[in-house]
Amino acid sequence: MALQPRRSEGSGGGGRDSRGGPGGQQGGKKKFFYRRKRVCKFCVEKLEYIDYKDVKMLQGFIPERGKILPRRISGTCALHQRKLQNAIKRARTVALLPFATD
Amino acid sequence: MRTYEVLFILSPQVAEEEATTLVSEFKKVAESTGAQLRNEEAWGRRRLAYPIQKFTEGYYHLFVFESDGSLSELDRRMKNVDRVLRHIIVRTDEDHKRAEKLAKRNPKKERVRPAAPMAPAEQQQPEFPIEPEARA
Repeated sequence: MALQPRRSEGSGGGGRDSRGGPGGQQGGKKKFFYRRKRVCKFCVEKLEYIDYKDVKMLQGFIPERGKILPRRISGTCALHQRKLQNAIKRARTVALLPFATD
Repeated sequence: MRTYEVLFILSPQVAEEEATTLVSEFKKVAESTGAQLRNEEAWGRRRLAYPIQKFTEGYYHLFVFESDGSLSELDRRMKNVDRVLRHIIVRTDEDHKRAEKLAKRNPKKERVRPAAPMAPAEQQQPEFPIEPEARA
C-alpha cells in the first residue's frame, strides 16, 4: 500500500487521492512512513506557462543555497520541472535570482 | 507574428534623463526593424540578486514586442551600450500557444477530483434515519 502513492506521483496529476488517506489509517501503527503524496503545483493550479519574471513564485523552488529544488522533493512533474528549470535559469541571467548564495 | 519579451537592466549611475533617452532609443531601433511595441513596464530600481560590475542595484525595464522578423539589431545595440548591465530577449508566442493547448487538455484530469467529496455524503445519509428515531 505504501508503495502505490509513492510511485504514482511520477505520473503527474494522477487521479488518486492526494493523501494515503484510507490506507494510512488502516496500517497506521505499522507504517510510520506516512508520506503525503506530493502533487505538481503547476498541474494543480494549471499554470502552464512558467514566467521567468515571476520571482516570488520561482523563489519557492529555490532553497537557501540558491540551487534548483529537485523534483523528488517538490513533486513537480517532469514537464513542468523542465520549464521551471528554464525559467529559473533565465531569471538568473538577469539577476532576478542568484546563481549561488552562502 | 512572433512576440518577444525584452528585459534589460540599466546601470544605477545613469541619470533619469539619460535613462529615458536610452529607453526611447531602444524602442526606435526595434520599431525600425518592423517590431511593434505591445507592452512596456518600468520596474524601476531593484536590488540585483548578485553584483554585476560591482553594482548591487539596477533599473529594470521590460518591453513586449510583436514582430515578423528578429530583434537581432536591438540585441546587438544592447550589447554595445555600456549602460546596459544585462539584457535578455525571449520569444514567448510559441510557449504561450503550447500552454493554451495543455490548459485545454488538462480539464479532463480535473474531473477525477469531484468524486472524492461523494464518500462523506454517503456516510451522512445513514445518520438521518437514526435521528428521527431518537427524537420519537
